[in-house]
Amino acid sequence: MVVAPVVALALLLAGPARAYDFSTTHAGLTEQALLSSSLHRVMSQRFGKAMGLLESLALNSRTLQPDTRRTLWQRFEALDPAGGYRPGNDGAATALAWVVAGSVLAGTPPERARNHFFDPRTRRGLDDGPGLSGLSHALGLVLVGESSVRSLAAGTAFDLTGSSAWQWLFAAENDLGVPAFTSHMERAVAAPDPAERESALVQGLLALGGILAVLQDAGEPAHVRNDFRGSYLGGRAVDPPGSAFDRFVMARYGREAIPRPDKPISRPTLAGFFSARDGEGLADRTQRRFFSAGTLPADPIVDRQTSTKDVVGAARASLVQRRPTVGRLDLQEMGRKQYMLLEGRKTLAYVRVPGRVRFSLDQAVYEDAARALLPEVAAYCAGLVDHMFRASLAIVVANGTAAVTVENVAGAIAGGALRIYAEDARGLRQEISLPSAGAAAIAGGTQTVVDVPPGTRRIAAILSGDVAGDPVIAIGEAVVPPR
Amino acid sequence: MRVGWLLSSSLVVVTGACGPVIDRAAFSARRDSLEKGDLLGPFDGIALDAETDRPLSGAVVAASWAFERGEGLTGPAGAHEIVTETGADGRYRVPALTNLPTGGAVRVRRFTLIVYQKGYVAWRSDRRFPDGGARRDFAQRGNRVRLEKWRTGLHHHRHVLFLGGGQAVRAAASWELLPASLELSGGGVASGGVAADKAPVATTAGASPLDIATLLSDEELKGVTGYAGAFDLAKLLDLPTTEFYDSRHFKARGKPESFDTGLRVWRLGPVGAEAQYRKLLAELPGAKPADEIGDASLRARSGDVLGLAYLIRERGVVVSVSCGVQQCTDPEMILRIAKLVESRLAELPALPATPAEDKP
Repeated sequence: MVVAPVVALALLLAGPARAYDFSTTHAGLTEQALLSSSLHRVMSQRFGKAMGLLESLALNSRTLQPDTRRTLWQRFEALDPAGGYRPGNDGAATALAWVVAGSVLAGTPPERARNHFFDPRTRRGLDDGPGLSGLSHALGLVLVGESSVRSLAAGTAFDLTGSSAWQWLFAAENDLGVPAFTSHMERAVAAPDPAERESALVQGLLALGGILAVLQDAGEPAHVRNDFRGSYLGGRAVDPPGSAFDRFVMARYGREAIPRPDKPISRPTLAGFFSARDGEGLADRTQRRFFSAGTLPADPIVDRQTSTKDVVGAARASLVQRRPTVGRLDLQEMGRKQYMLLEGRKTLAYVRVPGRVRFSLDQAVYEDAARALLPEVAAYCAGLVDHMFRASLAIVVANGTAAVTVENVAGAIAGGALRIYAEDARGLRQEISLPSAGAAAIAGGTQTVVDVPPGTRRIAAILSGDVAGDPVIAIGEAVVPPR
Repeated sequence: MRVGWLLSSSLVVVTGACGPVIDRAAFSARRDSLEKGDLLGPFDGIALDAETDRPLSGAVVAASWAFERGEGLTGPAGAHEIVTETGADGRYRVPALTNLPTGGAVRVRRFTLIVYQKGYVAWRSDRRFPDGGARRDFAQRGNRVRLEKWRTGLHHHRHVLFLGGGQAVRAAASWELLPASLELSGGGVASGGVAADKAPVATTAGASPLDIATLLSDEELKGVTGYAGAFDLAKLLDLPTTEFYDSRHFKARGKPESFDTGLRVWRLGPVGAEAQYRKLLAELPGAKPADEIGDASLRARSGDVLGLAYLIRERGVVVSVSCGVQQCTDPEMILRIAKLVESRLAELPALPATPAEDKP
């Protein structure tokens, strides 16, 4: 019987796992990032939503394609109402709740999270290496009813591989990625009908949440060290789902106690939030400063001939990732647990046992790791929100004209055109033709003046494109004085 | 360990056909018991005022179970919510979950109870406010929900986030969104009939309260309406005066309410004023846009009281005038009162600058 060993192997490998818990950790990180970001001001000043982050926005089902509507609502119904981000039956929630919902939907269905891995050294996603183990895992999922034979045959079952997080942000099949964010935000300004604009804004905010969730996982050590197997499949049978570190963070902080960052972290480009040559992307920093359960040094042999230097050398040689490396160890005392410190944090636990030194991650290491990582992740996310909305369009309406000026952008915005809209008393928008429409890049400080049509209550404008390949979207709105 | 996994996974296979895996509850069965509770319920308890220990009736009680699925990667897979209210004796009862989710590898992961009463700090079974620390005193049966009164120094925006909850909870707490939004904008507002929540960033040290005494006198009011009687002047009592809000109540001496006039002014800055105006438009009885005065205005009516409110965007001010039908015998009268007030708004000092305005 050939099947039996395969089934047994598959079951052995089919351990439950997750990234940072989507319902609590991801949601809390997004909440804190938003509070630290400029989005409240952006919502009130550029989108005309007076209550900013707390403005109630409705996803109007009639503005959605039937397939989109069905899929979205199926996913909304998966969300826990206790989190405060599940929209009501009327399709309404605050702007903040929509972004948080997007971060949770990034892991709904859970298979999406296979694409949240990113090794900044190789720039690859989750990769289990050669062999049959991934196939075995996929088979195991079929057996426990979590996946289907069809998905196995189609190659879509989770076989311990995935796109890199960076690629996933731009993937066509990712409805919560950068292209989705940009196109929804454009419609949030340009759609004629107010209900359609509001629905588009909701979808843009959901996509923003999805983008944040991907960045948040660049602050989870296993996700930037290509470590699914060790962190997620190495648990004990009695453990609840998730890696030990992720479970610790979930239990210790929940959604409500995620620390607020001091201030947003700025980066020059979107890619720079993940990885950059200066080594200051979140994935870069996380990879070189934190171990994960499956990328610990091997337990080196200690005997009478072995010096501490030998032990350190052997431990270093066994590392899959170069950094963090193994520093000074104190091996004098047998059986006493000690810690290797990095930046004043307990980074690695070790204990000398007969014949060996055993390395591990324990609660004390997790405590220090979470205390360092969570505010940093939230700060990167706040910075990313500010980066996505860094450019703006200042609109001054006077004497029957509207002057639109591109602001807060270094360099010229290419690949898009400025569009200006007049909104009437019914909230309907119509594009105003510009004096000189062209495909030329628009630099910061450029001003365009148009006549305001009679009966206009509000002027809105949008310019989306890229600055040296980095996506940018500039939006502005202004009320036309009634008298 | 691997044998354990085999057994565990086999269990999932077996139970996957019969029903979901039920996670262990993090709470005890009873307050005085070490026995673990049942995640599926039923649940019961009582809501009390933490200060007086008196039962609180009419508090919103939202109970929800969260489901998850996945063996390779896990994520949300549904939820079930039951919303009720505490009875006259402060007690609530939540029946056991019987509508269990189906499908392979589905787990019942969490149960959360939220209790909300306006004027009090919300209570969650998993976390405390404001420190977010884990709650350890939740019990399945005989639970005691001690609600603490809202106090100065707490932040509405943090409270709204902490609260979470589904549609019913959010509706009950919707009044908090405006003060929460103002906190985020760097302005504060007292609201909701409870003590003013002045966030540290929201108030300017030493700022004076708003004073609208100069905007309308009793003699001017009589001049508009032709009323011959006397007025007792006071503040309207539902909201306290702050640096952002003030009110005047022209109470017709010895007459019913239909002879009274009220004036309220909010000085909130452009964003806050816009929000406050929209709130009035949404919440005042029978409010309809009228565009008679200011950048936007509305008319409203509740029984024998007429209402008119308007927004002055440039000043960031919202004015609301209410006038009984026996005082404002002609609808034009309330508009004239409103215009009289508008002509005096320049006398109000500007909204104090707040640190948040310097925020990048």
